[in-house]
Amino acid sequence: MKKLNVLFVAILALAVLAVTANAQFKIGSEVESFTLSDSNGTERTFDGLKGKNGTIVVFLSVRCPVVKAYDERLNKITEDYSAKGINVVGINSNYTETAEKIKKHTEDNYKFTVLIDKGNVIADKFSASATPEIFFFDKAGKLVYHGGIDNNKNSEEATNNYLRDALDANLAGKVIVKAETRAFGCTIKKQN
Amino acid sequence: MTAFCLAPSVAFAQKNKTGTKKKNVVILPKITVVNGDELKNLLKSTGKPLLVNFWATWCDPCREEFPDLVKIDNDYRGKIDFITVSLDDLEDLKFVVPKFLWKMKAKMPAYFLKTVDEEKIISEISDDWQGGLPFTILYNSAGKVVYSRAGKIKTDILRAEIDKTQNSNTLETQKVSPK
Repeated sequence: MKKLNVLFVAILALAVLAVTANAQFKIGSEVESFTLSDSNGTERTFDGLKGKNGTIVVFLSVRCPVVKAYDERLNKITEDYSAKGINVVGINSNYTETAEKIKKHTEDNYKFTVLIDKGNVIADKFSASATPEIFFFDKAGKLVYHGGIDNNKNSEEATNNYLRDALDANLAGKVIVKAETRAFGCTIKKQN
Repeated sequence: MTAFCLAPSVAFAQKNKTGTKKKNVVILPKITVVNGDELKNLLKSTGKPLLVNFWATWCDPCREEFPDLVKIDNDYRGKIDFITVSLDDLEDLKFVVPKFLWKMKAKMPAYFLKTVDEEKIISEISDDWQGGLPFTILYNSAGKVVYSRAGKIKTDILRAEIDKTQNSNTLETQKVSPK
């Protein structure tokens, strides 16, 4: 009976920890700098990659067709907003994708830095679960938008540009009307 | 429901025992195309537990878990309702999706979600679905969500959750049955 009680308490503690971990990262949360290797194997700090007016973190995958469908849109966002002081940082947390493939895919497809998140530490920290999933931090490092890039993987059919709307509102000092959306795509293949 | 059903027959060239090629005509599974509102109607309680799997042929874990889902369908047929909802590209509706279902020997009713707003549908289905595929959700006989899983299913856990809905159904029946 005593063992059962101990087990119950341990399970309860784990459950509380899990809930707390998820609750830690929400709109308004601040991101602490972290260090990961980029697709070329160079160690990079998040602080060193941040834009002066904000930073878009996008979780990516080499294999996910939905990510591929968004590649062009992501590059266009990078072009359009880097001039406005907002940087894009990609993170690949899929344990099923090799560093070589991520390096080649980044070179072939992206105009921004892609970090490799071994052991999905950052994905877990952010509670990220899908690709492409967006976390937009304002210039103070606070999460102000989380979710999808827009509402349709086919660019011609997208009618709500959630991320662009969030970026424009934030740059204009306005409240982001839709600060949380869902990110349709593939699940991140996590190690645990 | 303005559903559009597909049950195309397709000829496959297969080698027989003597090594010569022979054309076999197969009937591919029927797939019903639904929009967001029609999908929501499908999720309304009919008095039986309902298992729903959202998937796509381009999704690796979706394909990997499908044989387990087919086994679950075989084991629980008649006890629960089970439907699959494909979020594939429209161009894959005619051949790629039905061919996969045929290969898997899938017998559960198959639907294809046609929507211009993926984000809206996902947010309406479940608070626990961030948007990644696969997503599996189990409703009890009262239509309440009792289990959901983003990512590949853990078969033992899903089976245990389905069994729980069966046990609670039995208890409910006992409560209302006259002696």
